[in-house]
Amino acid sequence: MADDSLASHRRDPIKSSVGNVAAQRRRQNAATVGKERRESLVRAKRLCRVGATGDGDVPVEENDMMTDEEGFLLEDQTSSAVKELKSAVAYQGKGAMQKRVNALRELRRLLSKSEFPPVEAALKAGAIPLLVQCLSFGSPDEQLLEAAWCLTNIAAGKPEETKALLPALPLLIAHLGEKSSLPVAEQCAWALGNVAGEGEELRKVLLSQGALPPLARMMLPNKGSTVRTAAWALSNLIKGPDPKAATELIKVDGVLDAILRHLRKSDEELATEVAWVIVYLSALSNFATGVLVKSDALQPLVERLATSNSLQLLIPVLRSLGNLVAGDSHTTSTVLIPGHEITDGVVKVLVKCLKSDHRVLKKEASWVLSNIAAGSIEHKQLIYSSEAVPLLLRLLSTAPFDIRKEVAYVLGNLCVAPAAGEGKPDLIKENLVSLVQRGCLSGFIDLVRSADIEAARLGLQFTELVLRGMPNGGGPKLVEQEDGIDAMERYQFHENEDLRNMANGLVDKYFGEDYGVNE
Amino acid sequence: MAMVVDYKHDSSFPYWTSIRRRFDPDSPFFSSGNLERELLAKQVALDLTEDERNQLEKMIDNDARGVFCPIVGCGARLTSLEDFEDHYIARHTASCSVCSRVYPTSRLLSIHVSEAHDSFFQAKVARGYAMYECLVEGCDLKFKNYKGRQQHLVDKHKFPTSFEFFNKAHPSKKKRLKNQQKRRTHKKDEEASSKMEVENEIIDGLVSAVSKLSTSDSSPSNISFGRRNARGLTFVPRSIQAPREKK
Repeated sequence: MADDSLASHRRDPIKSSVGNVAAQRRRQNAATVGKERRESLVRAKRLCRVGATGDGDVPVEENDMMTDEEGFLLEDQTSSAVKELKSAVAYQGKGAMQKRVNALRELRRLLSKSEFPPVEAALKAGAIPLLVQCLSFGSPDEQLLEAAWCLTNIAAGKPEETKALLPALPLLIAHLGEKSSLPVAEQCAWALGNVAGEGEELRKVLLSQGALPPLARMMLPNKGSTVRTAAWALSNLIKGPDPKAATELIKVDGVLDAILRHLRKSDEELATEVAWVIVYLSALSNFATGVLVKSDALQPLVERLATSNSLQLLIPVLRSLGNLVAGDSHTTSTVLIPGHEITDGVVKVLVKCLKSDHRVLKKEASWVLSNIAAGSIEHKQLIYSSEAVPLLLRLLSTAPFDIRKEVAYVLGNLCVAPAAGEGKPDLIKENLVSLVQRGCLSGFIDLVRSADIEAARLGLQFTELVLRGMPNGGGPKLVEQEDGIDAMERYQFHENEDLRNMANGLVDKYFGEDYGVNE
Repeated sequence: MAMVVDYKHDSSFPYWTSIRRRFDPDSPFFSSGNLERELLAKQVALDLTEDERNQLEKMIDNDARGVFCPIVGCGARLTSLEDFEDHYIARHTASCSVCSRVYPTSRLLSIHVSEAHDSFFQAKVARGYAMYECLVEGCDLKFKNYKGRQQHLVDKHKFPTSFEFFNKAHPSKKKRLKNQQKRRTHKKDEEASSKMEVENEIIDGLVSAVSKLSTSDSSPSNISFGRRNARGLTFVPRSIQAPREKK
């Protein structure tokens, strides 16, 4: 959550800090390859800011790593703060409310101070039951806010620490209601978002406790930071792997309309969070995918891809488009009809992504194109005659490996007719010949040489197309010229049996004893 | 025209089929995009320099693509797919100095050299010793003839039936034409001609090198030292066929 720090609004700097921690958690969950080195690099650069509460707090500079002493001090202070809170909560006399708020604020400050908030110390001192008490109905807004804030930061810690919020969940969910003040609702949503981001188990708990409907309703207004936080929390809540939540979300009254409205009109930051919601809706729920496609969600997605330059926005929008195309054959067959304006629009923005400097855009745009190219003959011709092909050919020889693989899928799909029953699919000879003439074969032979099984397979499959389909039996010679025989013969000592058989089969069939005899 | 076509391979080749591909949201396919989200979400706070970003991306790539060499018996860990080609060329292209065939390990190369170019080896075979080793390291079985070893590889170690340790060559057009000529003129003396093919190919290489130094005749078939070597080999097993040219 890239909250630009608005010095006037005192909560925001802390929010950035909390956002950092929360984002760190999200990252841990999102990236399947989380290694310590990477995380430490990222974490070390994280700015920690202390809230400008007017108490004269000084922002902590980045890389201001705490010494052990300072760490112990912080832990001590935290334990004291919790003790203080305990007595404040017990106190019934005059000024009790202010006492509680002050104690909460102190604890919140301590929990927002450094990259490694003293969550463990707080938990050990018994913070949770106290914070739960502070969330009771009828409590003043400031108290609710500070308590939810503390819980947010606690939830942004380690898995066990997030789980410690369990007793607080029902109350946090309750305070999402429409009667709550917006800042309170938002802070609760934030805490819940962190909890949801932790893992499947906690998501299940939240869903069973009814977190989804109130969060969904928070997305309905036209603007505000609350809408954004709610969208973010929802994206964590529905991310599965169980598709039920995604399906449930799209069914909530007003949600579909709100999603499309935000996608069309809202600022890029809000649109980004909503786009991530769409990513999960379209990746997990067939029902949601169908609804989105029928409601013409493709149009605003294309529009954003065409007009935005924010990578943060482009990635989820492109992926949403990709998911809608991949998830439902209707998208390609009933919406993206060749000749229709929307179809041209889609191809155009995909080409724009291919031209971009960003690896993810190039890779995922190629993926989308490969799925469109897996459609009808008309779809293949549409792509074949578009600006995409020259770009793809260039990418096949120059791009990083993961992009090349996707590009290979597009080009290969352009050469093969849709499957019709048993047996080998028919070749589209003109496309194959033309692409080979434009030099794509060497890129495919390169894939044959790769250590990646899927890539090697693709390379061999395309090689087979060339060997089989080039006119006048010219395939073998072309393959030989690109050192294809050498590449295939490497598989004799390869440990993967499928690839060995594929390669050996091709060599035996097309480069047997009599190869070249009748020249 | 005896075409060796393995119909079994033909029917089971997994042809390219054009199909839609869908991925789950937590599929590794999306992980680089997800990472961008996290890094960018903290752009304001993170303030990574270009270098650090590249470093991070590389870490992701390596994590995702740290790969093991798939050549049988190697198992070397490679930091990235880009490294594989270098690794392959460095470690798996042991080439025979006599006939230029290439092998993925020095062990296989030395087995080849004994079997293909060592008259002493052939002498022992002729006297009935089990000289053909199993190619799988650690198996240690030996066989009296090439075919027997071949059968063992297929039966015991699941090698494909089309596998040939001493395999057919796929020479360039120039070489093929020359081979055809040889085949016509030396039809009866099959063994000797294939010997000459082996030698002539090497000779081409040697000659062109030598001719750069002196004024020797660059026409391969007239080089006398080549023929002398060919005559020197008394026995050539029937299984030896036209050599493969190393590119």
